[in-house]
Amino acid sequence: MFKIAAKDLKLFFADKRGMLLTFAVPIALITLFAFAFGGAGGSSEPDPLKLVIADLDNTETSKKLIANLDSLEEFVVIKATSDSAENLVIKGKKPAALFVLRGTEDSIRAGHMPAFELKYDQGQGPEVGILEGALIANLNQISGELLMQAMSAKMPSDSLMQFMPKQSNASNGVTIRETPLVKEKESPVGLIHAVAGTAIMMLLFSVTGMGSAMLDEKQEGTLKKLMMAPINPSSILFGKMISVNVISIMQLIIMFVYGWLMFGLDIASHIPSTVIMIICTAFACSAFGVFLVSIAKSKAQVQGLSTLIILTMSAIGGSMIPSFIMPAFMQKLSIFSVNYWGIQGFYDVYWRELPISDATFLTRVAVLIGIGLLLNLIAVRLFRRNIIALT
Amino acid sequence: MINVTDLRKSYGNHIALHGISFSIQQGEFYGLLGPNGAGKSTTIGIMSMLVSPDSGSVSINNNDIIQHPVECKQTIGVVPQEIALYNELSAIDNLLFWGGLYNVEKSLLKKRIDTTLHLFGLSDRANDKVKTYSGGMKRRINIAAALLHNPKVLFMDEPTVGIDPQSRNLIFEVVQKLHSEGMTIVYTTHYMEEAERFCDRIGIIDNGKIVAQGTLHELKSMGGNQEAVIISGNGITEATAAKMRAAGFIVSTGENQLTFLSHNLKSDLSRIVLMCSEHGIDINDISIRHVNLETVFLSLTGKQLRD
Repeated sequence: MFKIAAKDLKLFFADKRGMLLTFAVPIALITLFAFAFGGAGGSSEPDPLKLVIADLDNTETSKKLIANLDSLEEFVVIKATSDSAENLVIKGKKPAALFVLRGTEDSIRAGHMPAFELKYDQGQGPEVGILEGALIANLNQISGELLMQAMSAKMPSDSLMQFMPKQSNASNGVTIRETPLVKEKESPVGLIHAVAGTAIMMLLFSVTGMGSAMLDEKQEGTLKKLMMAPINPSSILFGKMISVNVISIMQLIIMFVYGWLMFGLDIASHIPSTVIMIICTAFACSAFGVFLVSIAKSKAQVQGLSTLIILTMSAIGGSMIPSFIMPAFMQKLSIFSVNYWGIQGFYDVYWRELPISDATFLTRVAVLIGIGLLLNLIAVRLFRRNIIALT
Repeated sequence: MINVTDLRKSYGNHIALHGISFSIQQGEFYGLLGPNGAGKSTTIGIMSMLVSPDSGSVSINNNDIIQHPVECKQTIGVVPQEIALYNELSAIDNLLFWGGLYNVEKSLLKKRIDTTLHLFGLSDRANDKVKTYSGGMKRRINIAAALLHNPKVLFMDEPTVGIDPQSRNLIFEVVQKLHSEGMTIVYTTHYMEEAERFCDRIGIIDNGKIVAQGTLHELKSMGGNQEAVIISGNGITEATAAKMRAAGFIVSTGENQLTFLSHNLKSDLSRIVLMCSEHGIDINDISIRHVNLETVFLSLTGKQLRD
């Protein structure tokens, strides 16, 4: 009994892939999720919130108000025009934008607390909620101070003391009017995330499996026989790429159609952009699978590497949890993941309903194609270099 | 048809081929005979353009393999040592795929597949997945896949390793038929009987060198009037064989077996038996064999073919 156990342990520790899956992958994922949910380092200091502000009043008072907000540790203020502030929200680059309304200075000079407008993306509810909470307290304080300054400039301090309690507006605090720029759609953001995030993550696993069929060909001698046929060696890899792409497209189509039939994902209204996104996502994911196979020397290596890399990319890229609820540095990292660009592209289609010609949507498409081309190019070069070793 | 000139190949510090040269005429059945690791598969690998040589040249049908690889590949058919088939596909699908790589027109390809399957006795299993085949049946399909583009030259790298007698005989019949139809065949084997049975000419390769080549008759005559004395018994070791080599005998060791070559059996036999006793060998059996490829190989290399 103990001999069998000892033998099994010996075999286990001799299997580097098994060790990787058992120890390294869970550690890597724990680390990622800890960072994603803000538990790393034990620090309670939250990252400053990026606050887009459009100053419609454009007065001394409104500028002072914005400068005061910018001086706070909670915020990093991004000044924008009205149009560009709205665009940042519509295109999903920021969850919300604060509009300092025309008449703010007049209102404060008249002894009233000013009103603001918060234009936001309903799909980014949690982040908008955090931003709004931080804004109310700070706007009240800053506006109150400005109002006091305005009043003190107008009248002597004893008169001011008599005046303050009468300002019902001031005691009620500032008004923030909420205007959703991106509204709840037929396909809720959770559904889009579930379908796109899962589909891309599972596609990455399956393309790696398909790509590693090349290593089966090596093991079974068919690759050697292919090399003896009167065909260009590169066409062996290109043939594999074509088949992986075709199957990937089929897989994504089936997943999205399932999302439509079972959960009502609104494909019917967005057929052209859905087709574009499916093709581009399949292309980028397929290239990733072929690339991974080209850098590995054995099927065992592919399996170990793919588990680690795909889970990591899926975690930082938003397949597991939406990237907008991750800390800022994780959001920055997410752009290095195929998942991120695919998921954001599908958000553009179903949530933001951007037209095909929109620059933001086209950027996502271009990045996916770029990832695909780059990884395919590297795979071809590695395949050429390793071909002798492969056969 | 095939000219191999001063072919050299190394893998790291290991020299696989030391500059071998040989020529094969059109329609000839040429055997490359040697033990495992002698350089047979490397030679076939280079001739079939799978392995790049370090130096030297190979021309097939007057085309250099480096300068005109596609023309050369179109001229040859290769039966690799391992069974290179897609197990999840049927025999027909495998053959359609492999034949299709050589741009054979589809209706002609289908016709050839029918003929080839019939030739190998597999017509009734044509639509079954290859994974359901026996090892011998897979070997037959492996050979069939190399014939569909009607190559002028067929390279066969140990095509009968590990198969049942029925499949072996079927393969022999097909090979003889192809040869009789004028196909040039290059056949590597370490089975002496196969080389003796089929080959017009044989090249004996050992340690990456062609140590002798010629017809069977020419090779046998190289062995002179030697005979092989085979001693079977207990207590045979490589150390005892080395002592006997020091005494001037050409000796090789096998499993509980020593093989001596002798030009003068009458005087040598008693010496051999005496030496064996002196070295503690408990003799069970003594047999005498006349010269054959095995003894020629032994006299040329000091090793047995199946070493």
